[in-house]
Amino acid sequence: MNKLLSEMRFTEEHEWVRQEGSTPHVTVGITDYAQDSLGDIVFVELPEVGSQVVEKDSIGAIESVKAVSDVYCPASGTVTEVNTELESTPEVVNTSPLEDGWLFKMELADVSSLDTLLTEKEYKDYLHGLE
Amino acid sequence: MARSITVLNLGKISYRAAWQVQRSLLQAHRNDSKNEKSFLSEQHPGDVLIICEHEPVYTVGIREREYSQDEERLKALGADFVRTDRGGLITFHGPGQLVGYPVINLKNYSLGLRKYVSSLEKVLIKTCEMFGLQGKTTKDTGVWIDERKIAAIGISCKRYITQHGVSLNCDNDLSWFDHVIPCGIKGKGVTSLSQELGRKVSLQETEPLFLNSFCDVFGCTLAADEKLAENIFLKADFIS
Repeated sequence: MNKLLSEMRFTEEHEWVRQEGSTPHVTVGITDYAQDSLGDIVFVELPEVGSQVVEKDSIGAIESVKAVSDVYCPASGTVTEVNTELESTPEVVNTSPLEDGWLFKMELADVSSLDTLLTEKEYKDYLHGLE
Repeated sequence: MARSITVLNLGKISYRAAWQVQRSLLQAHRNDSKNEKSFLSEQHPGDVLIICEHEPVYTVGIREREYSQDEERLKALGADFVRTDRGGLITFHGPGQLVGYPVINLKNYSLGLRKYVSSLEKVLIKTCEMFGLQGKTTKDTGVWIDERKIAAIGISCKRYITQHGVSLNCDNDLSWFDHVIPCGIKGKGVTSLSQELGRKVSLQETEPLFLNSFCDVFGCTLAADEKLAENIFLKADFIS
């Protein structure tokens, strides 16, 4: 698990980004902190495959216990795949937020944009500051 | 030190206009220069609790595909029908029902979404208690008196700023709920403060008790802001 986390980058909106090797292909999801603070997830709205997305834009939503929270795009690029399993089993985002509960995959317009995201340590410090 | 929230009483206002006020307040919260400034930005409104009342309207949340067949049928009854970006399924708002929309920054209260929703439930339960009624929560979000739903909740959150909120049945006509399965929960009825107490309990009687409960639960103080209200009614071209 530690190895998993250290390969990931994070946003202040509690998304994680995992790069495939050093390619521009990444997987995006929400963190354990996010799924815990949302409660039981009942619905996930995902972006369209093939859509061009822009960093910080709202590109999806997660509904839990009568509350909808936006999902934000961590970096600009093109959506290549979405986790269609979540249509029938949205609760997987609660039980496995870092693995089976991944939300979508994308091809980054610029790989170096990952450097602007938070490291594992920076994200942990950020969480600490929120308490 | 207790946080201060501005109470904004919009009176009887259309659902769509009240939603637009919320969006303007949301924009004013954002310091992000990328966003268009709202007409309220100069005033730095901070955290606001909107209280209002709507003409008959059915609203649905983001899971709205289930209701694509219902729109025309419900509009034919004389109600508006609005698709929103909140959580929850279908509900009804109408005259005699107290509606509350907190547009607040959850970071100010160290609340995650789940805790925020549960805080809203507590506010509603406390309000019912003040009338001598035992409200409760169940696995279905909202507040219940036994098997009858007295208050509904549906919210959304955009970068920690909340939108939408709660509705509490005071002396509204409950027959509007007969045409839908409220909040998608089958086999359970709806009720109101008036129905439970066997006397007319108006929105006006309920409002101060609701506001008191809100202060208690959120640990805040509430204050009116005449200038903000004036600004909205004078400058908002979406309020007729």
